[in-house]
Amino acid sequence: MPRTIHLTLDINGKAHPLDVEPRVTLLDALREHLDLTGTKKGCDQGQCGACTCHVDGERVLSCLTLAAQVEGRQVTTIEGIAGDDGTLHAVQKAFLEHDAFQCGYCTPGQIMSAVACIREGHAGSDAEIREYMSGNLCRCGAYNSIVAAVRDAATTIAAGQKAEAA
Amino acid sequence: MTIIEPRKHGSAADGRVGGRLSRFEGELKITGNATYALEYPVENVAHAVLVQSTIAAGRVVSVDASKALAAPGVLLVLTPEDDLGLMTAADWFGNRPENQPFHPLPKVVRYNGESIVAVIAESREQAGEAAKLIRITYEEAPAVADMDDPKASEGKLLDAMTVEWGDAEKALAASPVRIEAEYRTPREYHVAMEPHGLTAGWDGEQLTVWEPSQWTHGMARNYAEWFGIPLDNVRIVSPFIGGGFGSKGVALPYGAVAVAAAKKLGRPVRLAVTRPQNFTSYGGRAATRQTISLGASKDGVLLAIVHRGASETSVYMDYPEQTGAATPILYKVENFSSQSRVVPVNAVTPGALRGPGKNPSAYGIESAIEELAYKLAMDPLELRLKNYADHDYQSGKPWSTRRLREALTEGAEAFGWARRSHEPRSMRDGKSLIGWGIGCGTFPVIRAPSSAMIRVLKNGRVEVVSGAIDMGQGTYTILAQTAAEALGVSIEQVDVVLGDSRLPGSAIAGGSMLAGSITGAVHKTANAAREEIIGLALNDPNSPFRDTGANTLVVSEGRISVASGDGPSMTLPELLSVLGRDELEVTRNTLPDDAQSASDRMNAWTSMGRVQGPTMGDTSMHSWCAHFVEVRVDEDFGTVRVSRMVSAFDCGRLYNPKMVESQWRGGIIMGIGQALLEEGLVDPRNARTINNNVGDYLVPTNSDIPDIQVISVGVPDYEASALGGKGVGEVGIVGVAPAIANAVFHATGKRVRDLPITLEKLM
Repeated sequence: MPRTIHLTLDINGKAHPLDVEPRVTLLDALREHLDLTGTKKGCDQGQCGACTCHVDGERVLSCLTLAAQVEGRQVTTIEGIAGDDGTLHAVQKAFLEHDAFQCGYCTPGQIMSAVACIREGHAGSDAEIREYMSGNLCRCGAYNSIVAAVRDAATTIAAGQKAEAA
Repeated sequence: MTIIEPRKHGSAADGRVGGRLSRFEGELKITGNATYALEYPVENVAHAVLVQSTIAAGRVVSVDASKALAAPGVLLVLTPEDDLGLMTAADWFGNRPENQPFHPLPKVVRYNGESIVAVIAESREQAGEAAKLIRITYEEAPAVADMDDPKASEGKLLDAMTVEWGDAEKALAASPVRIEAEYRTPREYHVAMEPHGLTAGWDGEQLTVWEPSQWTHGMARNYAEWFGIPLDNVRIVSPFIGGGFGSKGVALPYGAVAVAAAKKLGRPVRLAVTRPQNFTSYGGRAATRQTISLGASKDGVLLAIVHRGASETSVYMDYPEQTGAATPILYKVENFSSQSRVVPVNAVTPGALRGPGKNPSAYGIESAIEELAYKLAMDPLELRLKNYADHDYQSGKPWSTRRLREALTEGAEAFGWARRSHEPRSMRDGKSLIGWGIGCGTFPVIRAPSSAMIRVLKNGRVEVVSGAIDMGQGTYTILAQTAAEALGVSIEQVDVVLGDSRLPGSAIAGGSMLAGSITGAVHKTANAAREEIIGLALNDPNSPFRDTGANTLVVSEGRISVASGDGPSMTLPELLSVLGRDELEVTRNTLPDDAQSASDRMNAWTSMGRVQGPTMGDTSMHSWCAHFVEVRVDEDFGTVRVSRMVSAFDCGRLYNPKMVESQWRGGIIMGIGQALLEEGLVDPRNARTINNNVGDYLVPTNSDIPDIQVISVGVPDYEASALGGKGVGEVGIVGVAPAIANAVFHATGKRVRDLPITLEKLM
């Protein structure tokens, strides 16, 4: 049998022990080994964005990231962005309200990108949103609604931060 | 089965047919809890990886699998030498050849990228690594790379597709104004975000296949016939599909490989078709070429249309992409001639991709009509309205509904078409040449019988159950709305269960036929359930309604009561309780009364045998649209950006405008990709698909797409469907590419007649 390595991954704030071959990607670790299938495989070669997760708060393509690379770092997936009580994230709510998806397969990646896009300060205009959301393909063509959802969620999040500061 | 529970919504009207209810299953999708085919937890699953041919034609002489078999974790290697014992299954229409073996890993190679070997191992990584160690020796044969290959024939004439009326050649020759041009489209691919694949497991003679499916019953039949087992032994599970666009309506050879491997190993097998392999494991839209000649009077009356089309097909099957499909029905014309050919090439057999036939056909005729407009120095909108078809000249039948005139005029109004200056290169903004163009689209109303079950439960829930599928069109949502309205319950009470071949059969989600067909079945079933509830309430000895003397009762917001408002009123669970019943279950279908036998039903749910085309009744039924496009073309670099779009649609009544608008935009965006980006490239030396990935086969990204305004100009069409809708999914793409090509001509003065319109064609 091939060599396996033992990892403990911090995913959505929980420690996940894992024995995998060194060549296993973060994406396959999530989907095939940890039953976290919300993160999607669209191309497995870094072209479509469906596998977008956050590592230490920044968006990464989990298909181009080895599981072994993220040990000791904080991984967040689509399963980890709602509140502990199940309250949806502002971006999730906006996606539902604006119908920013159809088949739903690119959606977790879109939402993870959108959360980061807003956090990065790249949701200032529709043109900026389009540009910074262009790493996530949507073949159903929900782009108009995705832009509207990101714009809406960015406003909601900014209002929340303002209220918190006050 | 996945039970979808409803989400909260804005207004009570949202929950009825025509309401803007948000996507019913949406919360599962935005939380990552919607489970797609390869995500089902299956114990002890092994992983299969395909090895595909690297030659375009020839024969497999030998396969050396020794190194692969010795690699870690490898369980099995299947090669063309393995007789899997399969038989050819029936085609879509239920026709099945007798005693014809089926070899999903063939010895004879017919195209580059055909699956030849499968490696099955404990893990996907091990199978993938071992697959690299397979050595295949071929005896190569001459091949035809594509329809431009000098070795390609002019194609086989398909007589059944010839359409003629009047005397088109003579009328054309006599026409004072004529244009003739050839229009070409390249190979295009579905590129659904979820790649194809499946998990298959046997339990004795029972087979379960978790596979994305646009048609669970049809695909169950494929597997049953391949493996020689009763249809009832096969279960296809597909509650969520990550996009299909025509590619997931039939079981494919790799599916047979995975199922056969699972049988041989006695354990479940998962086969994920890689993204590059998706480009050759099933066909996209065929490359096409068509020559269109138009004849007109000097004042712009269309006198003749002559169309000669050809499309690529494979060397083993004739699959026409019907470039003459829209040509006969968009305009009034007394003289018409259309012929179509298929050109065999060494490629996988093409398939149906959004707007099959109508799409490339509209690219031809809608480009040609604008070429004619410029020849006549006439506004393209005016020319279209002048030649408006008052009826269907092909079938001779009146339209059921055709609001294309309203689509053109209201679309033009919203777009501001009147401000257009006609001359090419006459509108600009700095370095950007601005062009405006129109393209009309159409897609036929196709219908098929369907069935559904409704269960009213003691706990207050109402389940709507069907084997129909939802790949993002909104089936869950509109069926919940349909059932809630017809049954008289709140949408909050409704659950919808879909996507399983064990559930009542349904039309395929293809050809835009599902929504109209399945809402009809659910509406019928819900009405029957309501009638049965009322009947029980009036007649059951234990019912308090028995003594009211009422002839009928009303069910509204989940309560049953006397219409006058006097007398008892109770919820449906309360009624079930006094009746002493746990539940009430009603199943209905929309097959004719004389076709209700078990074999009638089986054939209806698993073949296209009872599908009805657009002119099978007294009228001709189609969806219609008109797209208005603004492009900005960089004068120096030739880059084209779509900067503005207005599209007006006649799709009859909209069951849920929110879902419909999403589908329309989705079709339009795919059309923008088709016009400007998408092109399967073939290496002429070995017929390999060069750009077999989404970094090289370009589909639109967010930044390619402007705000798209969509307008509904339709009216309910109750000939087209029980609830008055016409198809919405296919028609959106039809006419987009010519609208963009026409806008590019208006901007630049250059007419691009071969898609996609890339910058080098404008330099």
